Amino acid sequence: MLKEINVALAQISCKIGDKKHNINKMKQKVEEAKKNDANIIIFPELSLTGYLTRDLTYELAEPIPGPSLKLLEETAKKENIHIIFGMLEQSKKAHAVLYNTAVLLGPKGFIGKYRKMHLPTHSVFEEKRYFRLGYQAPVFETKIGKLGLIICYDVFFPETSRLLRLKGAQFIICISASPARRQRFFEVLTAARAIENTVFLAYVNLVGVENGLQFWGGSRIIAPSGSIITQAKCDEEDLVTGSINYADLERTEAFVPTLRDLRPEIFNSLKEQAENL
Amino acid sequence: MKLTADRLKLDSPLVETRIKRFIKDYIEKCGATGVVLGVSGGIDSCTTAALAALSLGSHKVLGITLPEEETYNATDVQHAKMVAEEFGFKLEGIDISPTLKACFQSLPIYNASDKLSKGNVKARIRMVYLYYYANKLKKIVCGSSDKSEVMMGYFTKWGDAAADISPLMDIYKTQVRQLALHVGIPTEIVTKPSTPGLWPGHLAEEELGVKYETLDLILFGLERFMRTEEIAEQLNLSIKLVDGIKKRWLATEHKRRTPLTTKIGYRTVGNDFRLPYTPH
Repeated sequence: MLKEINVALAQISCKIGDKKHNINKMKQKVEEAKKNDANIIIFPELSLTGYLTRDLTYELAEPIPGPSLKLLEETAKKENIHIIFGMLEQSKKAHAVLYNTAVLLGPKGFIGKYRKMHLPTHSVFEEKRYFRLGYQAPVFETKIGKLGLIICYDVFFPETSRLLRLKGAQFIICISASPARRQRFFEVLTAARAIENTVFLAYVNLVGVENGLQFWGGSRIIAPSGSIITQAKCDEEDLVTGSINYADLERTEAFVPTLRDLRPEIFNSLKEQAENL
Repeated sequence: MKLTADRLKLDSPLVETRIKRFIKDYIEKCGATGVVLGVSGGIDSCTTAALAALSLGSHKVLGITLPEEETYNATDVQHAKMVAEEFGFKLEGIDISPTLKACFQSLPIYNASDKLSKGNVKARIRMVYLYYYANKLKKIVCGSSDKSEVMMGYFTKWGDAAADISPLMDIYKTQVRQLALHVGIPTEIVTKPSTPGLWPGHLAEEELGVKYETLDLILFGLERFMRTEEIAEQLNLSIKLVDGIKKRWLATEHKRRTPLTTKIGYRTVGNDFRLPYTPH
């Protein structure tokens, strides 16, 4: 496993429903990232189709594996790079069972996927109308580290990131489609998840305008200490690369030993209280 | 939550950027050659026109003044010209009086003393002109309704609020004033009393029965799910006044939506047909 990796954050805008256009843009960004010696490139939530697909969600969703994933798999193999992107996933067993999914590809092809566990259905969001909740938070052991994936609103729930960290994740990747009104929440919460778990965290947000919503970008890599390693511009497309050195985890863990100080007995009480809210 | 004037303080540079990006993005996506706006010389239309010019380039913006003799106000027309000159967009003027006369003469049930029905025709005739220009020039109609008047239903249905985009529709009137000053709209335009101009001496605050400074705080409270009792208490207003505003807001939802139908089919327009708002 590599001790140090270069991470490219591909903060793009997407054309709603135009997978061909979006895949071409993603391929272009992969080539650019490769020039910067990136080991991994990360795209925003639902980057394959755009975020606000509404009723088109049904016709745009694909099973995994599926045709779009195959095209991006070829790119990952050709460019010898890891790719994370977001897509509408259709169940292989039922047509209208859909997931908001993050996919991890590697130089040898498909590695794994994560289905969003917390689906926002309030304000401008209507994800529960279309998606089934995800139930698993896997950690992927790869050549570039032990990776855990979360999606956007998941970052509001510390349990998901905690679970990934307890399963051994060193690097949590949060792909997102966050509108501008919520910028401050994500700035604070992404840093909090990194600090409280002593873990590296990459946040990659969408930009552009969809249905009048303006996505604010501001993608970043956050060190376990909470400091920002690299940050993309706000409100416009950007591609930035930052380095992660896993040796920093050891130093930070000794300085802020949150995992050592965990109190598992509280978790039972949390479960009990949450069930009776 | 305390309802104070600070709540309505706008981050004007940020809002300017967002509105300009919104206009530009929409025009690019729909492939139009620009926007057509009715410019009355009032704060909303002048601010919208200025933002459109700053966003798209003034050559893509066409302003049209559409006065009529009954409510003709030389100062307003002069204000429209000032803003067009300052922001460099083309301004045309069309007197809609002959069209109105012809329209009224052909209406068998026309009654000149019914100010509202008559005034609404003026707003709808203006809409017809704007859409003719938009169709002919492959532009879109850019509306200038603000959030206060839209929440109050204080506009003519299918008239002045009829547009393809309405960039100011999520900011209250008092916030439009802040934005207007920020982008450089002359103070005399910003401070003059607002008028829908449907009849002579028609003043918005007089007709609404409340100053915009107060109305906007009430609407802000309603937007944040506050109860009318709490709003009234905080603003030292009668519950009757606040309840009346809430009632008007709720009663005018029909003006802000596609026409209601009854559910018969599998998916229904305006109901559970949920499609992306992409113009292409």
